[in-house]
Amino acid sequence: MKAFEYATAHSVNSAQEMVADNGQYIAGGNDLLGLLKEYIVDPKILVSVKSLPGLDRVETGSKVWTIGTNVTVAQIEDHSAIRKTFPGLAQAAAEVGSQQIRNVATVGGNISQHSRCWYFRHRDVLCLKKEGDMCYARHGENKYHSLFTGNTCISPVVSNLAIAFAALDATAVVQRAGKPVRMSMAEFYAKAFENPTAHNSLNPGDLVLKVEIPTTRTHSAYMQTSEKHEFDWALVSCAAAANITNGKLSNARVALGSISPVPHQVDAANEYLEGKTLDEATVTHAADMILHGAKPHEHNGYKVPMAHALIRRTLLKLNA
Amino acid sequence: MNESEPAKIGPFSRRTFLKSLGTTAVATAAVQAQTMAAELEKVNAEKTIGPGTVPVTLKVNGEMLKLQLEPRVTLLDALRNYSSLTGSKEGCDRGTCGACTVMINDVPVYSCMKLAIEAQGQAITTVEGLAKNGKLTKVQQAFLNRDALMCGYCTPGFVMSVTALLRKNPHPTADDVRHACSGNLCRCGTYPRIMEAAFEASGVAKVAINKTEVIPYA
Repeated sequence: MKAFEYATAHSVNSAQEMVADNGQYIAGGNDLLGLLKEYIVDPKILVSVKSLPGLDRVETGSKVWTIGTNVTVAQIEDHSAIRKTFPGLAQAAAEVGSQQIRNVATVGGNISQHSRCWYFRHRDVLCLKKEGDMCYARHGENKYHSLFTGNTCISPVVSNLAIAFAALDATAVVQRAGKPVRMSMAEFYAKAFENPTAHNSLNPGDLVLKVEIPTTRTHSAYMQTSEKHEFDWALVSCAAAANITNGKLSNARVALGSISPVPHQVDAANEYLEGKTLDEATVTHAADMILHGAKPHEHNGYKVPMAHALIRRTLLKLNA
Repeated sequence: MNESEPAKIGPFSRRTFLKSLGTTAVATAAVQAQTMAAELEKVNAEKTIGPGTVPVTLKVNGEMLKLQLEPRVTLLDALRNYSSLTGSKEGCDRGTCGACTVMINDVPVYSCMKLAIEAQGQAITTVEGLAKNGKLTKVQQAFLNRDALMCGYCTPGFVMSVTALLRKNPHPTADDVRHACSGNLCRCGTYPRIMEAAFEASGVAKVAINKTEVIPYA
Protein backbone atom coordinates (compact mmCIF):
# COMPACT_ATOMS: atom_id res chain seq x y z
CA MET A 1 0.00 0.00 0.00
CA LYS A 2 0.97 3.61 -0.47
CA ALA A 3 2.26 5.63 2.46
CA PHE A 4 -0.17 7.74 4.44
CA GLU A 5 -0.29 9.98 7.46
CA TYR A 6 -1.97 8.80 10.62
CA ALA A 7 -3.77 10.49 13.48
CA THR A 8 -5.86 9.48 16.45
CA ALA A 9 -9.01 11.55 16.95
CA HIS A 10 -10.17 12.37 20.45
CA SER A 11 -13.42 14.04 19.47
CA VAL A 12 -15.91 13.68 16.65
CA ASN A 13 -15.29 17.25 15.51
CA SER A 14 -11.53 16.86 15.33
CA ALA A 15 -11.94 13.51 13.53
CA GLN A 16 -13.97 15.22 10.83
CA GLU A 17 -11.56 18.11 10.69
CA MET A 18 -8.54 15.83 10.27
CA VAL A 19 -10.13 13.49 7.76
CA ALA A 20 -11.08 16.51 5.60
CA ASP A 21 -11.61 15.75 1.91
CA ASN A 22 -8.87 13.21 1.32
CA GLY A 23 -8.73 11.08 4.44
CA GLN A 24 -10.34 7.88 5.63
CA TYR A 25 -11.56 6.85 9.05
CA ILE A 26 -10.10 3.66 10.44
CA ALA A 27 -11.57 1.51 13.21
CA GLY A 28 -11.13 -2.26 12.78
CA GLY A 29 -9.45 -1.68 9.44
CA ASN A 30 -10.44 -5.00 7.80
CA ASP A 31 -12.18 -3.41 4.84
CA LEU A 32 -9.92 -0.38 4.57
CA LEU A 33 -6.63 -2.31 4.61
CA GLY A 34 -7.97 -4.57 1.87
CA LEU A 35 -8.76 -1.52 -0.25
CA LEU A 36 -5.38 0.07 0.52
CA LYS A 37 -3.44 -3.08 -0.33
CA GLU A 38 -5.16 -3.23 -3.73
CA TYR A 39 -4.59 0.51 -4.33
CA ILE A 40 -8.33 1.08 -4.67
CA VAL A 41 -8.41 3.99 -2.25
CA ASP A 42 -5.61 6.48 -1.86
CA PRO A 43 -6.14 8.49 1.33
CA LYS A 44 -3.68 11.15 2.42
CA ILE A 45 -4.42 10.41 6.05
CA LEU A 46 -6.01 7.70 8.17
CA VAL A 47 -7.86 9.01 11.21
CA SER A 48 -8.42 6.46 13.93
CA VAL A 49 -11.84 6.75 15.53
CA LYS A 50 -11.24 3.97 18.04
CA SER A 51 -10.44 6.40 20.85
CA LEU A 52 -13.60 8.49 20.46
CA PRO A 53 -15.20 8.59 23.89
CA GLY A 54 -18.45 6.75 24.59
CA LEU A 55 -18.83 5.02 21.24
CA ASP A 56 -17.68 1.55 22.31
CA ARG A 57 -20.68 0.59 24.42
CA VAL A 58 -23.96 -1.26 24.17
CA GLU A 59 -26.58 0.69 26.11
CA THR A 60 -29.79 -1.07 26.95
CA GLY A 61 -33.08 0.74 27.43
CA SER A 62 -36.77 0.07 27.76
CA LYS A 63 -37.63 1.61 24.36
CA VAL A 64 -34.33 1.86 22.49
CA TRP A 65 -30.95 0.12 22.67
CA THR A 66 -27.90 1.99 21.48
CA ILE A 67 -24.89 0.29 19.96
CA GLY A 68 -21.82 2.50 19.60
CA THR A 69 -19.98 2.56 16.29
CA ASN A 70 -16.84 1.02 17.86
CA VAL A 71 -18.61 -1.96 19.40
CA THR A 72 -17.05 -5.01 17.78
CA VAL A 73 -18.97 -7.67 15.91
CA ALA A 74 -17.61 -10.24 18.40
CA GLN A 75 -19.07 -8.21 21.27
CA ILE A 76 -22.49 -8.37 19.61
CA GLU A 77 -22.15 -12.09 18.96
CA ASP A 78 -21.21 -12.80 22.59
CA HIS A 79 -23.50 -10.24 24.27
CA SER A 80 -25.92 -12.33 26.31
CA ALA A 81 -28.58 -9.60 26.52
CA ILE A 82 -28.44 -8.95 22.77
CA ARG A 83 -28.75 -12.68 22.12
CA LYS A 84 -31.87 -12.68 24.23
CA THR A 85 -33.47 -9.44 23.07
CA PHE A 86 -32.33 -9.29 19.43
CA PRO A 87 -31.38 -12.87 18.54
CA GLY A 88 -31.49 -12.01 14.83
CA LEU A 89 -28.75 -9.43 15.33
CA ALA A 90 -26.54 -11.83 17.31
CA GLN A 91 -27.04 -14.49 14.63
CA ALA A 92 -26.08 -12.02 11.91
CA ALA A 93 -22.95 -11.06 13.87
CA ALA A 94 -21.93 -14.71 14.33
CA GLU A 95 -21.91 -15.13 10.53
CA VAL A 96 -19.57 -12.19 9.92
CA GLY A 97 -16.14 -13.27 8.67
CA SER A 98 -14.07 -15.35 11.06
CA GLN A 99 -13.28 -15.07 14.77
CA GLN A 100 -10.19 -13.01 13.95
CA ILE A 101 -12.26 -10.59 11.87
CA ARG A 102 -15.16 -10.33 14.33
CA ASN A 103 -12.71 -9.49 17.13
CA VAL A 104 -11.67 -6.26 15.42
CA ALA A 105 -14.54 -5.48 13.02
CA THR A 106 -16.83 -2.73 14.27
CA VAL A 107 -20.49 -1.93 13.81
CA GLY A 108 -19.73 1.32 11.98
CA GLY A 109 -17.24 -0.40 9.69
CA ASN A 110 -19.53 -3.33 8.99
CA ILE A 111 -22.40 -1.19 7.75
CA SER A 112 -20.10 1.22 5.87
CA GLN A 113 -17.97 -1.43 4.14
CA HIS A 114 -17.46 -1.14 0.42
CA SER A 115 -18.65 -3.38 -2.37
CA ARG A 116 -17.19 -6.89 -2.61
CA CYS A 117 -17.74 -7.09 -6.37
CA TRP A 118 -14.63 -8.73 -7.80
CA TYR A 119 -14.42 -6.18 -10.59
CA PHE A 120 -14.53 -3.33 -8.08
CA ARG A 121 -11.93 -5.08 -5.88
CA HIS A 122 -9.57 -5.74 -8.79
CA ARG A 123 -6.86 -3.12 -8.88
CA ASP A 124 -6.60 -3.18 -12.68
CA VAL A 125 -10.29 -2.91 -13.49
CA LEU A 126 -11.71 0.58 -13.76
CA CYS A 127 -15.36 -0.30 -13.38
CA LEU A 128 -18.40 1.90 -13.10
CA LYS A 129 -18.17 1.93 -9.30
CA LYS A 130 -14.68 3.40 -9.61
CA GLU A 131 -16.01 6.03 -12.01
CA GLY A 132 -15.10 3.98 -15.08
CA ASP A 133 -17.28 3.52 -18.13
CA MET A 134 -19.08 0.25 -17.58
CA CYS A 135 -20.24 -2.40 -15.16
CA TYR A 136 -18.19 -5.45 -16.09
CA ALA A 137 -20.38 -7.72 -13.95
CA ARG A 138 -23.51 -7.09 -16.04
CA HIS A 139 -22.14 -9.03 -18.97
CA GLY A 140 -19.34 -10.79 -17.13
CA GLU A 141 -19.18 -13.05 -14.09
CA ASN A 142 -22.16 -12.10 -11.98
CA LYS A 143 -23.00 -15.10 -9.80
CA TYR A 144 -22.67 -13.04 -6.58
CA HIS A 145 -24.53 -9.99 -7.85
CA SER A 146 -27.88 -8.26 -7.41
CA LEU A 147 -31.39 -9.24 -8.45
CA PHE A 148 -32.63 -5.70 -7.90
CA THR A 149 -31.04 -2.33 -8.56
CA GLY A 150 -31.94 1.15 -9.70
CA ASN A 151 -28.72 1.80 -11.60
CA THR A 152 -26.21 0.15 -13.91
CA CYS A 153 -23.89 -1.23 -11.20
CA ILE A 154 -25.14 -4.58 -9.89
CA SER A 155 -22.95 -5.05 -6.81
CA PRO A 156 -25.08 -5.84 -3.74
CA VAL A 157 -24.92 -4.78 -0.09
CA VAL A 158 -23.00 -7.44 1.86
CA SER A 159 -23.23 -6.22 5.46
CA ASN A 160 -24.90 -8.87 7.63
CA LEU A 161 -25.58 -6.42 10.43
CA ALA A 162 -27.35 -3.98 8.10
CA ILE A 163 -29.85 -6.69 7.16
CA ALA A 164 -30.62 -7.47 10.80
CA PHE A 165 -30.75 -3.75 11.60
CA ALA A 166 -33.19 -3.19 8.72
CA ALA A 167 -35.55 -5.92 9.95
CA LEU A 168 -35.37 -4.46 13.46
CA ASP A 169 -36.11 -0.97 12.07
CA ALA A 170 -32.86 0.38 13.52
CA THR A 171 -31.62 3.92 12.94
CA ALA A 172 -28.03 4.89 12.21
CA VAL A 173 -26.89 8.16 13.74
CA VAL A 174 -24.36 9.79 11.45
CA GLN A 175 -22.33 12.92 12.14
CA ARG A 176 -22.69 15.15 9.08
CA ALA A 177 -21.54 18.74 8.74
CA GLY A 178 -21.21 19.21 12.47
CA LYS A 179 -24.46 17.67 13.56
CA PRO A 180 -25.98 14.22 14.00
CA VAL A 181 -28.33 13.01 11.25
CA ARG A 182 -30.64 10.03 11.75
CA MET A 183 -31.07 7.52 8.96
CA SER A 184 -33.12 4.36 8.63
CA MET A 185 -31.22 1.48 7.02
CA ALA A 186 -33.16 2.19 3.81
CA GLU A 187 -31.91 5.80 3.89
CA PHE A 188 -28.40 4.71 4.89
CA TYR A 189 -28.06 2.79 1.61
CA ALA A 190 -30.52 4.62 -0.68
CA LYS A 191 -27.79 6.41 -2.63
CA ALA A 192 -26.22 3.08 -3.64
CA PHE A 193 -29.51 2.13 -5.31
CA GLU A 194 -29.46 5.21 -7.55
CA ASN A 195 -25.81 6.01 -7.94
CA PRO A 196 -23.35 3.43 -9.31
CA THR A 197 -20.32 4.97 -7.58
CA ALA A 198 -21.93 4.97 -4.11
CA HIS A 199 -21.56 2.17 -1.56
CA ASN A 200 -24.03 3.83 0.80
CA SER A 201 -25.49 7.27 1.43
CA LEU A 202 -22.53 8.61 3.41
CA ASN A 203 -20.90 11.76 2.12
CA PRO A 204 -17.12 12.18 2.37
CA GLY A 205 -16.34 12.99 6.01
CA ASP A 206 -19.60 11.55 7.38
CA LEU A 207 -18.99 9.42 10.44
CA VAL A 208 -21.30 6.74 11.85
CA LEU A 209 -21.68 7.38 15.59
CA LYS A 210 -24.10 4.70 16.71
CA VAL A 211 -27.06 2.56 15.79
CA GLU A 212 -30.32 2.70 17.73
CA ILE A 213 -32.61 -0.31 17.85
CA PRO A 214 -36.20 0.04 19.04
CA THR A 215 -37.39 -2.74 21.34
CA THR A 216 -40.73 -2.78 19.52
CA ARG A 217 -40.23 -6.27 18.09
CA THR A 218 -39.90 -9.19 20.48
CA HIS A 219 -38.90 -11.81 17.93
CA SER A 220 -36.10 -11.72 15.39
CA ALA A 221 -34.10 -14.17 13.29
CA TYR A 222 -31.33 -14.13 10.71
CA MET A 223 -30.24 -16.77 8.22
CA GLN A 224 -27.83 -16.84 5.33
CA THR A 225 -26.72 -19.29 2.69
CA SER A 226 -23.08 -19.37 1.65
CA GLU A 227 -20.85 -21.63 -0.39
CA LYS A 228 -18.85 -22.45 2.73
CA HIS A 229 -20.48 -23.41 6.02
CA GLU A 230 -18.38 -20.85 7.93
CA PHE A 231 -16.36 -17.72 7.11
CA ASP A 232 -18.00 -16.81 3.84
CA TRP A 233 -20.00 -14.02 2.34
CA ALA A 234 -23.71 -14.66 2.08
CA LEU A 235 -25.02 -15.65 -1.34
CA VAL A 236 -28.33 -14.48 0.09
CA SER A 237 -29.04 -13.33 3.63
CA CYS A 238 -32.38 -12.74 5.29
CA ALA A 239 -33.50 -11.20 8.56
CA ALA A 240 -37.00 -10.99 9.97
CA ALA A 241 -38.43 -9.35 13.07
CA ALA A 242 -41.93 -9.09 14.50
CA ASN A 243 -44.16 -9.30 17.52
CA ILE A 244 -46.05 -12.52 17.92
CA THR A 245 -49.14 -12.46 20.11
CA ASN A 246 -51.37 -15.53 20.33
CA GLY A 247 -49.71 -16.81 17.19
CA LYS A 248 -50.47 -13.62 15.19
CA LEU A 249 -47.78 -11.43 13.67
CA SER A 250 -47.62 -7.70 14.09
CA ASN A 251 -45.04 -5.08 13.05
CA ALA A 252 -43.35 -7.72 10.91
CA ARG A 253 -40.40 -6.75 8.77
CA VAL A 254 -38.30 -8.80 6.40
CA ALA A 255 -35.01 -7.66 4.84
CA LEU A 256 -32.66 -9.43 2.46
CA GLY A 257 -29.00 -8.92 1.75
CA SER A 258 -26.73 -9.70 -1.21
CA ILE A 259 -29.54 -9.29 -3.76
CA SER A 260 -29.70 -5.49 -4.01
CA PRO A 261 -27.42 -2.52 -3.27
CA VAL A 262 -29.75 -1.81 -0.34
CA PRO A 263 -31.27 -4.14 2.27
CA HIS A 264 -34.14 -5.42 0.13
CA GLN A 265 -37.47 -4.66 1.82
CA VAL A 266 -40.96 -4.67 0.37
CA ASP A 267 -43.44 -2.61 2.36
CA ALA A 268 -46.43 -4.41 0.84
CA ALA A 269 -45.13 -7.75 2.10
CA ASN A 270 -44.60 -6.35 5.59
CA GLU A 271 -48.16 -5.04 5.52
CA TYR A 272 -49.47 -8.36 4.24
CA LEU A 273 -47.92 -10.14 7.25
CA GLU A 274 -49.82 -7.95 9.74
CA GLY A 275 -52.19 -10.12 11.79
CA LYS A 276 -51.28 -13.29 9.89
CA THR A 277 -50.48 -16.65 11.46
CA LEU A 278 -47.00 -17.99 10.74
CA ASP A 279 -47.63 -20.95 8.50
CA GLU A 280 -46.34 -22.30 5.22
CA ALA A 281 -49.01 -20.54 3.14
CA THR A 282 -48.36 -17.14 4.73
CA VAL A 283 -44.60 -17.24 4.39
CA THR A 284 -44.81 -18.52 0.82
CA HIS A 285 -47.08 -15.66 -0.19
CA ALA A 286 -44.79 -13.16 1.57
CA ALA A 287 -41.76 -14.58 -0.23
CA ASP A 288 -43.58 -14.30 -3.59
CA MET A 289 -44.32 -10.64 -2.88
CA ILE A 290 -40.78 -9.85 -1.70
CA LEU A 291 -39.15 -11.35 -4.79
CA HIS A 292 -41.65 -10.00 -7.30
CA GLY A 293 -39.82 -8.22 -10.10
CA ALA A 294 -36.43 -9.84 -9.45
CA LYS A 295 -34.17 -9.54 -12.47
CA PRO A 296 -31.55 -12.28 -12.50
CA HIS A 297 -28.46 -12.03 -14.67
CA GLU A 298 -26.63 -14.80 -16.50
CA HIS A 299 -25.13 -16.51 -13.43
CA ASN A 300 -27.24 -15.51 -10.43
CA GLY A 301 -30.64 -16.97 -11.27
CA TYR A 302 -30.16 -19.46 -8.44
CA LYS A 303 -30.58 -16.59 -5.99
CA VAL A 304 -34.32 -16.34 -6.65
CA PRO A 305 -35.33 -19.78 -5.32
CA MET A 306 -32.60 -19.53 -2.66
CA ALA A 307 -33.97 -16.21 -1.42
CA HIS A 308 -37.51 -17.61 -1.54
CA ALA A 309 -36.50 -20.53 0.70
CA LEU A 310 -34.55 -18.26 3.06
CA ILE A 311 -37.50 -15.89 3.51
CA ARG A 312 -39.78 -18.81 4.37
CA ARG A 313 -37.28 -20.40 6.76
CA THR A 314 -36.36 -17.15 8.48
CA LEU A 315 -39.99 -16.18 9.04
CA LEU A 316 -40.79 -19.65 10.40
CA LYS A 317 -37.72 -19.42 12.63
CA LEU A 318 -39.37 -16.45 14.39
CA ASN A 319 -41.62 -18.98 16.09
CA ALA A 320 -38.78 -21.22 17.20
CA MET B 1 12.98 -31.72 15.18
CA ASN B 2 13.57 -29.90 18.42
CA GLU B 3 12.85 -26.22 17.75
CA SER B 4 15.37 -25.02 20.30
CA GLU B 5 18.19 -26.78 18.48
CA PRO B 6 17.66 -26.48 14.75
CA ALA B 7 19.95 -28.32 12.36
CA LYS B 8 23.23 -26.48 11.99
CA ILE B 9 24.78 -25.79 8.62
CA GLY B 10 28.33 -24.66 9.28
CA PRO B 11 28.41 -21.88 11.84
CA PHE B 12 24.83 -20.89 11.09
CA SER B 13 21.58 -22.66 11.70
CA ARG B 14 19.28 -22.42 8.70
CA ARG B 15 16.88 -20.35 10.73
CA THR B 16 19.36 -17.85 12.14
CA PHE B 17 20.97 -17.52 8.72
CA LEU B 18 17.63 -16.71 7.09
CA LYS B 19 16.78 -14.36 9.89
CA SER B 20 20.00 -12.43 9.52
CA LEU B 21 19.31 -12.11 5.79
CA GLY B 22 15.65 -11.29 5.94
CA THR B 23 15.43 -8.71 8.65
CA THR B 24 16.12 -5.05 8.90
CA ALA B 25 15.70 -5.02 12.61
CA VAL B 26 16.05 -1.66 14.24
CA ALA B 27 16.84 -1.49 17.91
CA THR B 28 14.77 -4.14 19.62
CA ALA B 29 16.10 -3.52 23.07
CA ALA B 30 13.61 -3.78 25.89
CA VAL B 31 12.54 -0.40 27.18
CA GLN B 32 10.98 0.58 30.42
CA ALA B 33 7.19 0.49 30.71
CA GLN B 34 7.29 4.19 31.48
CA THR B 35 8.96 4.92 28.20
CA MET B 36 6.28 2.89 26.50
CA ALA B 37 3.51 4.86 28.16
CA ALA B 38 5.19 8.07 27.06
CA GLU B 39 5.51 6.77 23.51
CA LEU B 40 1.90 5.73 23.51
CA GLU B 41 0.80 9.12 24.70
CA LYS B 42 2.76 10.70 21.89
CA VAL B 43 1.13 8.45 19.33
CA ASN B 44 -2.33 8.95 20.78
CA ALA B 45 -1.95 12.70 20.91
CA GLU B 46 -4.13 14.42 18.37
CA LYS B 47 -1.42 15.16 15.88
CA THR B 48 -0.64 13.88 12.48
CA ILE B 49 2.29 11.50 12.17
CA GLY B 50 3.96 9.95 9.14
CA PRO B 51 4.01 9.20 6.28
CA GLY B 52 7.70 8.72 7.15
CA THR B 53 8.91 6.50 9.97
CA VAL B 54 7.77 7.13 13.52
CA PRO B 55 8.77 5.46 16.78
CA VAL B 56 6.55 2.46 17.49
CA THR B 57 6.72 0.45 20.72
CA LEU B 58 5.17 -2.99 20.74
CA LYS B 59 4.79 -5.29 23.71
CA VAL B 60 5.31 -8.72 22.21
CA ASN B 61 5.41 -11.83 24.39
CA GLY B 62 6.09 -9.63 27.40
CA GLU B 63 9.05 -7.85 25.84
CA MET B 64 9.14 -4.29 24.59
CA LEU B 65 10.16 -3.86 20.98
CA LYS B 66 11.14 -0.36 20.02
CA LEU B 67 10.93 0.11 16.27
CA GLN B 68 10.95 2.84 13.66
CA LEU B 69 8.06 2.20 11.28
CA GLU B 70 5.97 3.99 8.72
CA PRO B 71 2.28 4.11 9.68
CA ARG B 72 1.48 1.79 6.77
CA VAL B 73 3.50 -1.12 8.20
CA THR B 74 1.26 -3.95 9.33
CA LEU B 75 1.77 -5.77 12.60
CA LEU B 76 2.72 -8.90 10.66
CA ASP B 77 5.36 -7.00 8.71
CA ALA B 78 6.66 -5.45 11.94
CA LEU B 79 6.95 -8.87 13.59
CA ARG B 80 8.49 -10.76 10.70
CA ASN B 81 10.61 -8.19 8.92
CA TYR B 82 11.48 -5.67 11.60
CA SER B 83 11.72 -7.92 14.67
CA SER B 84 12.84 -11.39 13.51
CA LEU B 85 9.71 -12.98 14.95
CA THR B 86 8.98 -15.25 12.00
CA GLY B 87 6.58 -17.59 13.79
CA SER B 88 3.55 -15.75 12.44
CA LYS B 89 3.33 -16.59 8.76
CA GLU B 90 2.34 -14.50 5.78
CA GLY B 91 -0.08 -16.35 3.54
CA CYS B 92 -2.69 -14.27 1.78
CA ASP B 93 -1.92 -10.91 3.42
CA ARG B 94 -5.66 -10.17 3.09
CA GLY B 95 -7.21 -11.48 6.31
CA THR B 96 -8.38 -14.70 4.75
CA CYS B 97 -5.97 -17.57 5.46
CA GLY B 98 -5.21 -17.13 9.18
CA ALA B 99 -1.51 -18.03 9.00
CA CYS B 100 -0.66 -14.65 10.56
CA THR B 101 -2.97 -15.06 13.57
CA VAL B 102 -1.65 -13.56 16.81
CA MET B 103 -3.39 -12.69 20.04
CA ILE B 104 -3.91 -9.11 21.06
CA ASN B 105 -5.08 -8.86 24.66
CA ASP B 106 -5.87 -12.58 24.52
CA VAL B 107 -8.15 -12.49 21.48
CA PRO B 108 -7.01 -13.80 18.09
CA VAL B 109 -6.64 -11.28 15.28
CA TYR B 110 -5.08 -11.24 11.83
CA SER B 111 -1.78 -9.44 12.20
CA CYS B 112 -1.74 -8.76 8.44
CA MET B 113 -4.87 -6.61 8.75
CA LYS B 114 -3.71 -4.59 11.73
CA LEU B 115 -1.41 -1.60 11.48
CA ALA B 116 1.54 -1.95 13.83
CA ILE B 117 1.03 1.57 15.21
CA GLU B 118 -2.48 0.53 16.25
CA ALA B 119 -1.20 -2.47 18.21
CA GLN B 120 0.73 -0.28 20.62
CA GLY B 121 -0.12 -0.37 24.30
CA GLN B 122 -1.63 -3.84 24.00
CA ALA B 123 -0.29 -7.26 24.92
CA ILE B 124 0.63 -9.08 21.72
CA THR B 125 1.24 -12.82 21.90
CA THR B 126 2.77 -14.66 18.96
CA VAL B 127 3.31 -18.39 18.67
CA GLU B 128 6.85 -17.82 20.00
CA GLY B 129 5.37 -16.57 23.26
CA LEU B 130 3.36 -19.67 24.13
CA ALA B 131 5.99 -22.16 25.31
CA LYS B 132 7.52 -21.25 28.66
CA ASN B 133 11.02 -22.40 29.62
CA GLY B 134 11.19 -24.71 26.65
CA LYS B 135 8.01 -26.53 27.65
CA LEU B 136 5.30 -26.70 25.03
CA THR B 137 1.75 -25.72 25.93
CA LYS B 138 -0.99 -28.34 26.01
CA VAL B 139 -2.23 -27.17 22.64
CA GLN B 140 1.22 -27.33 21.04
CA GLN B 141 1.86 -30.77 22.54
CA ALA B 142 -1.53 -31.98 21.30
CA PHE B 143 -0.70 -30.83 17.77
CA LEU B 144 2.48 -32.89 17.98
CA ASN B 145 0.78 -35.92 19.53
CA ARG B 146 -1.96 -35.94 16.92
CA ASP B 147 0.38 -35.14 14.05
CA ALA B 148 -1.93 -32.25 13.25
CA LEU B 149 0.24 -30.76 10.55
CA MET B 150 1.67 -31.65 7.19
CA CYS B 151 3.62 -28.77 5.69
CA GLY B 152 3.18 -26.81 8.91
CA TYR B 153 2.71 -23.37 7.39
CA CYS B 154 -0.77 -22.89 8.83
CA THR B 155 0.15 -24.44 12.19
CA PRO B 156 1.16 -21.30 14.15
CA GLY B 157 -2.15 -19.69 13.19
CA PHE B 158 -4.18 -22.75 14.14
CA VAL B 159 -2.32 -23.07 17.43
CA MET B 160 -3.20 -19.45 18.25
CA SER B 161 -6.87 -19.92 17.31
CA VAL B 162 -7.22 -23.13 19.32
CA THR B 163 -5.37 -21.61 22.28
CA ALA B 164 -7.67 -18.59 22.26
CA LEU B 165 -10.75 -20.80 22.00
CA LEU B 166 -9.74 -22.98 24.96
CA ARG B 167 -9.05 -19.93 27.11
CA LYS B 168 -12.56 -18.67 26.41
CA ASN B 169 -14.29 -22.04 26.31
CA PRO B 170 -12.29 -24.88 27.94
CA HIS B 171 -14.71 -27.61 26.83
CA PRO B 172 -15.74 -26.83 23.27
CA THR B 173 -17.97 -28.90 21.03
CA ALA B 174 -16.89 -29.85 17.51
CA ASP B 175 -19.02 -26.97 16.21
CA ASP B 176 -17.31 -24.56 18.61
CA VAL B 177 -13.92 -25.66 17.26
CA ARG B 178 -15.10 -25.25 13.66
CA HIS B 179 -16.50 -21.79 14.43
CA ALA B 180 -13.30 -20.69 16.19
CA CYS B 181 -10.99 -22.10 13.50
CA SER B 182 -13.04 -21.11 10.44
CA GLY B 183 -10.65 -18.21 9.90
CA ASN B 184 -7.68 -20.52 9.42
CA LEU B 185 -7.05 -22.46 6.25
CA CYS B 186 -4.98 -25.64 5.97
CA ARG B 187 -4.25 -26.32 2.34
CA CYS B 188 -2.89 -29.79 3.19
CA GLY B 189 -6.31 -30.56 4.63
CA THR B 190 -5.28 -31.74 8.08
CA TYR B 191 -8.52 -30.52 9.60
CA PRO B 192 -9.55 -33.84 11.26
CA ARG B 193 -6.19 -34.01 13.08
CA ILE B 194 -6.47 -30.39 14.14
CA MET B 195 -9.91 -31.16 15.54
CA GLU B 196 -8.45 -34.12 17.43
CA ALA B 197 -5.64 -31.94 18.77
CA ALA B 198 -8.13 -29.32 19.97
CA PHE B 199 -10.08 -32.01 21.81
CA GLU B 200 -6.98 -33.60 23.29
CA ALA B 201 -5.79 -30.21 24.56
CA SER B 202 -9.22 -29.56 26.06
CA GLY B 203 -8.95 -32.80 28.01
CA VAL B 204 -11.74 -34.64 26.23
CA ALA B 205 -10.68 -38.25 26.58
CA LYS B 206 -12.65 -39.83 23.78
CA VAL B 207 -12.60 -37.90 20.57
CA ALA B 208 -16.04 -38.34 19.07
CA ILE B 209 -15.30 -37.28 15.52
CA ASN B 210 -14.67 -39.10 12.30
CA LYS B 211 -11.35 -40.91 12.38
CA THR B 212 -8.87 -39.97 9.74
CA GLU B 213 -8.82 -42.85 7.35
CA VAL B 214 -5.47 -44.62 7.23
CA ILE B 215 -4.70 -46.28 3.94
CA PRO B 216 -2.26 -49.15 4.47
CA TYR B 217 0.53 -49.85 2.00
CA ALA B 218 -0.36 -52.58 -0.48
